[in-house]
Amino acid sequence: MDILGLGSKVDVEFLLDPQGQRKQIEVKIDENKRSLQYIYYDGEDVNGTIQIKLKKNSKIEHQGIRLEFIGHVEMLNDRSTVHEFLNLSKLLTFPGELTESTSMDFAFQNVEKPYESYIGINVKLRYFLRVTIIKRFSNNVFERDICVQQLSQFPEINNSIKMEVGIEDCLHIEFEYNKSKYHLKDVIVGKIYFLLVRIKIKHMEIAILKKENTGSGPNIYAESETIAKYEIMDGAPVRGESIPIRLFLAGYDLTPTMRDIQKKFSVRYFLNLVLVDEEERRYFKQQEIVLWRKQEKDKDKSKQSAQQYAHYERPEAATNKSEDNGTGANSGENSSVNGPLSSENNSDIPSD
Amino acid sequence: MLVLVLGDLHIPYRVSGLPQEFRKLLTPGRIQHILCTGNLCTKETVDYLKTLTADVHIVRGDFDDNPNFVDQKVVTVGQFRIGLCHGHQIVPWGDIESLSMLQRQMDVDILITGHTHKFEAFERDNKFFINPGSATGAFNALNSSTIPSFVLMDIQQGSLTLYVYQLVNEKFTVERLEYRKA
Amino acid sequence: MQKTADTSRGSIAGISMDNQEKLLAESLQNVRQHAFAMKRVLDQQSVMEGLKHAANMLGELRTSLLSPKNYYELHVVVVEELHHLELYLTDEFEHGRGSHDLYEVVQYAGNIVPRLYLLITIGHVYIRANELPRREVLRDLVEMCRGVQHPLRGLFLRNYLLQCAKSLLPDTEEENQEENKTGTILDSLDFILLNFSEMNKLWVRMQYQGHTRDLNRREQERRELRILVGTNLVRLSELECVNVERYKTIVLPKIMEQVVSCRDAIAQEYLMECIIQVFPDEYHLNTLNEFLKGCRELSPTVNIRNILISLIDRLTSYSTRDQQNIPENIQLFDIFSEQITEVIKSRSTMPSEDIVALQSALLSLSLKCYRDQFEYGNKVLENTRQIFDNIALDTQVTTGTQAAKELVKMLKIPIDCYDILDVLKLNHYKLVLQLLSYRERHTVCMYIINSILDKETIIPTAEQVTQLFDLVSTLIIDQPDGSLEHSRQTITNEDFVEEQNLVARLCNTFKAINDPDQQYHIIKTCQDTFKNGGLERMRFTYPPMIMQAYALTFRYKDIREQDEKWEKKCQKLFQLSNQLINTLTKLETNDLSLRLYLQGALTASEIRSENAETIAYEFFSQAYTLYEEQAGDTRAQCASLTLLIGTLEKVSCFGEENHSTLRQSLTQAATRLVKRPDQVRTLLLCTHLFWSAQRVDESTQKSEQIRDSEKVIACLKKAAKLIAQVMDQTAQVQLYNELLNSYIYFFNQNHPDIDINVLNTLIEKLQSDISKLDSTSSTTHTSSNDGDEFIRSQIQKTFDYLRQQSQLEKFQGLQINN
Repeated sequence: MDILGLGSKVDVEFLLDPQGQRKQIEVKIDENKRSLQYIYYDGEDVNGTIQIKLKKNSKIEHQGIRLEFIGHVEMLNDRSTVHEFLNLSKLLTFPGELTESTSMDFAFQNVEKPYESYIGINVKLRYFLRVTIIKRFSNNVFERDICVQQLSQFPEINNSIKMEVGIEDCLHIEFEYNKSKYHLKDVIVGKIYFLLVRIKIKHMEIAILKKENTGSGPNIYAESETIAKYEIMDGAPVRGESIPIRLFLAGYDLTPTMRDIQKKFSVRYFLNLVLVDEEERRYFKQQEIVLWRKQEKDKDKSKQSAQQYAHYERPEAATNKSEDNGTGANSGENSSVNGPLSSENNSDIPSD
Repeated sequence: MLVLVLGDLHIPYRVSGLPQEFRKLLTPGRIQHILCTGNLCTKETVDYLKTLTADVHIVRGDFDDNPNFVDQKVVTVGQFRIGLCHGHQIVPWGDIESLSMLQRQMDVDILITGHTHKFEAFERDNKFFINPGSATGAFNALNSSTIPSFVLMDIQQGSLTLYVYQLVNEKFTVERLEYRKA
Repeated sequence: MQKTADTSRGSIAGISMDNQEKLLAESLQNVRQHAFAMKRVLDQQSVMEGLKHAANMLGELRTSLLSPKNYYELHVVVVEELHHLELYLTDEFEHGRGSHDLYEVVQYAGNIVPRLYLLITIGHVYIRANELPRREVLRDLVEMCRGVQHPLRGLFLRNYLLQCAKSLLPDTEEENQEENKTGTILDSLDFILLNFSEMNKLWVRMQYQGHTRDLNRREQERRELRILVGTNLVRLSELECVNVERYKTIVLPKIMEQVVSCRDAIAQEYLMECIIQVFPDEYHLNTLNEFLKGCRELSPTVNIRNILISLIDRLTSYSTRDQQNIPENIQLFDIFSEQITEVIKSRSTMPSEDIVALQSALLSLSLKCYRDQFEYGNKVLENTRQIFDNIALDTQVTTGTQAAKELVKMLKIPIDCYDILDVLKLNHYKLVLQLLSYRERHTVCMYIINSILDKETIIPTAEQVTQLFDLVSTLIIDQPDGSLEHSRQTITNEDFVEEQNLVARLCNTFKAINDPDQQYHIIKTCQDTFKNGGLERMRFTYPPMIMQAYALTFRYKDIREQDEKWEKKCQKLFQLSNQLINTLTKLETNDLSLRLYLQGALTASEIRSENAETIAYEFFSQAYTLYEEQAGDTRAQCASLTLLIGTLEKVSCFGEENHSTLRQSLTQAATRLVKRPDQVRTLLLCTHLFWSAQRVDESTQKSEQIRDSEKVIACLKKAAKLIAQVMDQTAQVQLYNELLNSYIYFFNQNHPDIDINVLNTLIEKLQSDISKLDSTSSTTHTSSNDGDEFIRSQIQKTFDYLRQQSQLEKFQGLQINN
């Protein structure tokens, strides 16, 4: 790394993709810093060339030069804890003296990369190559991060999410999302049916919440972040109205859902449906969705474009119900609502 | 300057109203003065004439009851002094000599009289005499087949052009006559 | 479901009416700024930035603070600016530079209102550029708009959608094979009908939002917005592929479904009216039953009357326009008649004025669409009477009520579209008229007569005259319910005078053109009717009858060759006239009778039937008697005497005996007048009775002029004597001048005893009198100077005339100074 090499006589460069065929991705390191990283998948080789560059008329005496490929989890709120789950090592050169710049090819073959790279609030999951020029007093260390993406298969079971919820004698709605598992370029399609409206609703929005849990036992850190806030309704509906939902995911900074990675952390996503009334009271319901990364096919344009105007079609029985805006067919059901009821007092999850 | 000359309408005792053809022709705003020889005979008819122009001069006919109507009137239009009289007061009715006498007494250039229900216009001793007839063609015992008629005078300073409108067998005719003041 | 409270932000629901102008100005200012930024970046080909500014601009439409009117103002400006974006994108596609993913991109917009406006705009451009399938996108847009449930914002959003879709709606029976998924007319119908019902629901919902105290304002605001909803129906009517069949099976049922189910009176009234106005007449004709069935399902507070009347009027004018005929298979009258009966039956609370208004519309329809089928119109009138009889038998409708006003309107319909002779065939007309109280009956009767006069309708038979009198009897005889009016029915009441003058004018429309006997019957009928009308009415109604009788004698005379009884008939007419005039003499003023007698004398004289002289004498002597009774009113007497003299001068049927009696009487009467000048002037007129007046020579039975030169001189001398007794010098001089003129007249007539010397004597006298006048007037009568001046000039005119005449041989020896 440059900073570490400042003032030193040596620099190392990682040439990972001489043919320029590998995709790169801009990774947000923190608020101000972005870095371009190559994308790797599980089981792929990691190979390339290491160039060691010496300043003119200088020489380095070393105890050997080592290359490692490391995967680890850093707990950011406890800088010292780094849990390595992968470490492949190679000695590039035996101890000796470098008098001029030199290149060395390397290859780690069929490397298992079990997790997705991740930079969160309290946790980082990194994959990187590290070159160490071992010296008597202080080693020269150079690192290069890569980005690992974890591709998933189409889920075999992908039910829709459908639920009736309400607050007795106040509000009674039924909502449906077309799936429970969405890939990162997917579109969420759904509908909200209003079965009873006795409050003056001002608007309704849907939010994507990301929840990151780190640590275990007594030292659990839970972070919640609103990735997207999306207004889906303006004004107050009356009983019998149905409101369409269509939310594209591709535009947001999302990762696949991660559960219990190395028993150190989880990243989960929720859809939060929020209704706001004229007194600015908020009524909400969270529902977890699973995000997964789909292998990108180059030309899937036609399918993509059909999504632009996709609508959620109700199952037959439900459709009939929505059109039933007669006199109080549903009013008697207030007491038998399936979903949980929460008042503002026992609300445990902030909505915003 | 357009002056409408008419008289002996005899509404409602002898006719139901002014012929439609005449009513269509007589639209408000075109005529500056109306000289009426009388026998209207009702307030409604006077009101009707006043819708055509504000300047309406009427003299009393033998069947007029309005006490405000006078027997004779002199109106000056352009360079003409115009005398107006119904004519039943002139004996013998319609007699030219008698009319001349009246013209002298009234000292007018044009004398307009009615009563006979018969259109007439002639010049005598450089004076002009007009009888517009009956605008409704009202019955007259001395003239049993009356032709509805009235007269429009176009007065330009010293010259007078006369348009005579008549309804002969329900056909509308216009005649033009000219007179110049000596 | 969970709920949290955020009380930190208090929100105020509803719109404050204060500051509206300021708020609008601020919004417009923001819109302009964003629009400016948008146009600037678009000029730099930066689409994404442009969309961002557009979204910001559209964010102004999220406001809840503006009144509907001001929101509309804002909307107009925003849409106009949005048009720039549309033009830019369209242009990009025309140059092959259009980006393909904008339809998705704009869906990331976080707020729904800007998002949907952008989506509609992009959708519009993409469909036109053939970038996306028309059918799917249109369907998508109309569905996605469901997200805006705020009535005002939703209505305007959907209005924008409708506006953009206008040129995109497929209007073909078949799919276009070359382009994919262009859709057909059915897709357009789905689109508009869905948009329509959503808009209507939003519109209706406005009624129930906000405080009840603002109800009036809200209803007013709703009315201002109704056109937004109605535009959907206009769009439907513009589709060429909507034919009668589609209208009947798809369009109308769907619209009616929404109209009926919304249960909102304002919406129902407006939309029904809208349906009637925007779709063609043929469609209505073919869906009458469906439409009318829908009418019965409307809310009870809907003013169903206006809707039905509107439809009836529309079809009525259709059938009367360009000779369009109602197809034979459509029993328009029967259908409406039944439906109206049903509607009236189903609404027990319907006010009677509404019932009448409906019947009026039906009457108008039957009279205009079925001109020759009187039974239809008659049936409506019968039903109307029946409805009132069912409420309360033989009861009059209270004057001044709405029901009375509607009945009046109804009764005017046949008068307007028929002439009176046809109206007389509607025998139930009168029965409906009788429902009205005096005041309204009076109005209708006046209307009837005015209409006859305007149209110059001729009533040709006595029978029709009888029927007409029956109809307008309110004006002709005293009414049992008009007692309040009776006291006012005198010559001094202008309304009464106007009314009776109208009746008098009406009488002149009774004309049996080629049938004098029928005319006689008419006159008799009038007499029989008018004699019951009281003296005050007779003053107006009798004179036309009398003049008609006189005129009829001329017609009999014209056909004397064909009708040997003509003289008898004339005799009867004169007798009738005499009788009628005699009745009129009972009036306080006998002026009128006097003139009518004189007209009778003239007429008899002209007719010359047997007994003409007797009749003329009778009439003349009656007139003279009336003249004598006028004693006391000097002005009237002088005027009457003048008329008597003028008339006698023209009556030529008297033998010497009668004529002599009359001319002597008149001459004596002249001298008996109160004022000297009147005496002189009438006496001068009397001279003609001895000169140009005519009598019948007993041996030859021919008329001859009297030419009694001695009597002429006697009159002139008597006049001179009387002038000498006039005290007022000015008047005296004036009368001398008139006397001179009379002398000149007879001089011109070659009177044997008047020669140039006589004239010279008079001229000399007059000249000296004028000079006397000069000397006195300057000292005494300063006030009459103008009068003197006029008289001087009058005399001067006489002298001028004489000077002119002195050229003639006849006037040789005339002595006249300058």
